[in-house]
Amino acid sequence: MSNDTTATDAFPQAEDLSGPLLTVKDLRTTFSTPRGDLTAVDGVSLELGRGETLGIVGESGSGKTVLSRSIMGLLPRSKTTQSGSILFEGTEIVDAPDATLRDIWGAKIAMVFQDPMTSLNPVVRIERQITESLRLHTTMDKAEAKATAISLLGQVGIPSPAERVRAYPFQLSGGMRQRVTIAIALACSPRLLLADEPTTGLDVTVQAQILDLLSSLQAERHMAVILVTHDLGVVATRTDRIAVMYAGHIVEMASTRRLFASMAMPYTQALLKSTPRISDPSHTRLTAIDGRPPDLINPPTGCAFAPRCDYATEQCRIEAPPLRTAPEDPTHLFACWNPLQTGHAGTVTTAKGEL
Amino acid sequence: MSAESTPLLTVNDLVVSFKKGRQVVQAVAGISFDVFEGETLGLVGESGCGKSTTGRAIVRIEEPTSGEVAVEGRQLTGLGRSELRKARTSIQMIFQDPVSSLNPRRRVKDIVAEPLDIWKTAEGAERDAIVREMLEAVGLDPDVAGERFPREFSGGQCQRISIARALVMKPKVLICDEMVSALDVSVQAQILNLVEDLKAKYGLTLVFIAHDLAVVKNVSDRVAVMYLGRLCEVAPSDDLYALPAHPYTQALLSAVVEPDPEKAASHVALTGEPPSPINPPSGCRFRTRCPKAEERCATEVPELREIAPRHQVACHFPTLRA
Repeated sequence: MSNDTTATDAFPQAEDLSGPLLTVKDLRTTFSTPRGDLTAVDGVSLELGRGETLGIVGESGSGKTVLSRSIMGLLPRSKTTQSGSILFEGTEIVDAPDATLRDIWGAKIAMVFQDPMTSLNPVVRIERQITESLRLHTTMDKAEAKATAISLLGQVGIPSPAERVRAYPFQLSGGMRQRVTIAIALACSPRLLLADEPTTGLDVTVQAQILDLLSSLQAERHMAVILVTHDLGVVATRTDRIAVMYAGHIVEMASTRRLFASMAMPYTQALLKSTPRISDPSHTRLTAIDGRPPDLINPPTGCAFAPRCDYATEQCRIEAPPLRTAPEDPTHLFACWNPLQTGHAGTVTTAKGEL
Repeated sequence: MSAESTPLLTVNDLVVSFKKGRQVVQAVAGISFDVFEGETLGLVGESGCGKSTTGRAIVRIEEPTSGEVAVEGRQLTGLGRSELRKARTSIQMIFQDPVSSLNPRRRVKDIVAEPLDIWKTAEGAERDAIVREMLEAVGLDPDVAGERFPREFSGGQCQRISIARALVMKPKVLICDEMVSALDVSVQAQILNLVEDLKAKYGLTLVFIAHDLAVVKNVSDRVAVMYLGRLCEVAPSDDLYALPAHPYTQALLSAVVEPDPEKAASHVALTGEPPSPINPPSGCRFRTRCPKAEERCATEVPELREIAPRHQVACHFPTLRA
């Protein structure tokens, strides 16, 4: 996780290297829609260390994408209200002026989106799409920027980069395009990379290539990564920590190993059990989660997962459970009145004691 | 193939080619397989391998260039328009995008009843009873759902409506093309379980096309792996996943990520991406990415052959069981 004494020289902003790279406090993002206000991210707090990889997992509508776009400061100002705080290397992102965001975008925080065809400009050559941020954020001249672009394309595994740099996006396959968007994101050596479903549209073999590439580039550059995905398989082996989101809340957060070994939140377990596994025999009955996520315009009182939860009690329907720490692991947070017994001796019983 | 039963669906040397400018793309380049009654055959492969085209060519949404498709011994290929329409009542298709495959301006009960209305199979109270039965079978409340429009339903529910519509004519064969890939995992599990239940209840035979190897394993009795328009390997699911014989199947399986941090991260046995089907490699189409490729692979097309009971592979150098 965040252990950065070795890389101090690389960062100009040496003064706050000891603290977390990113601190999100009680973030609330609300959209006004014709039907009423929709709170897509509802009171999310998290910290991210330098070089750390955080997985944000959730189903559609859980708020994972809105959270990542909020961190980047990408949401439209009109019809969006935000409260809380997002501190990135000491800079406040919430309601930051455009000039501040421009200095951060690409240079310090970069993003890789799900669909490379829509995130790349179709009528501009790859070269200019990579050099754009280099020319803006660095003192490189045109030739230096081009040389850097070619080297970046090589680093992301594009064959014959010197020729490919002249290509347009439509001349590349989906996997190659996603490599290009990664090259663009990495151009200015950002401290934080937000990857929102970076492999979702890609085939399995290409997905594995892209995830391998992200891991190795991250290790080389000591870059923090937030990997947003619906796929528990993708985050299981490629993250240090995982935050599980449901209906705009973080409902469980723990180190990756801890989460899979002793998950406390019934939703996390339900999500895992409904995922078909290649190691299970054919025709294994899946444990589906009945019902569907709540309407965020009229969210239910109490725990948002209660209507679909096998363990729900009267209390769950009345009072929303706060995020609390597991007694035996202070880094493990969960929001549940009736957490799962994790199998280890003496686990989370104190949580039930508060009933 | 098993001798005890005759296949319900037979695909023989199916070829589908498209014209792209002056070039011809062979999306499906001569594949043959049988599906037996009550069986689910999974068809997997990466995008562009021809799996969807195969599904569409079976029901002749895409006209096959050559080859034969037969259901219960009756040829679908070569039938005239009206004959084909009649024959197709026994073979139905479910598509990936549940929302766009439903008419947004019709009520759910009318969407489900449409095949009955067209074929005049049932009218009046009988028709309504069948629609109710189908909606109930797919887990929707007919009183609530029937009067509504597709936009009032989530993706998973729309997929349930599509299934009800497909089943209303009591088909023998159901072709499912990426039917759960647009759904969230929790909903995906609901639909996969539903498909298993309906298959048992109505004695359906399924061709289940998907790119997700874990999903395909879950529902399939046998799995066929496609690469660049050809079949690489066909075997019972558990055998195929436990003992893949074709280097491509092995590579695909090695790339799958499992939700378990104790398992090693997937590694990529393959570099690059599939070559263009416009100008496919000679001989074995996988040879350009295959770690085992030798000279013979460039000159001789490997035929699908049986290496173990019901386990067929198209490779000159398959991994044989110990």
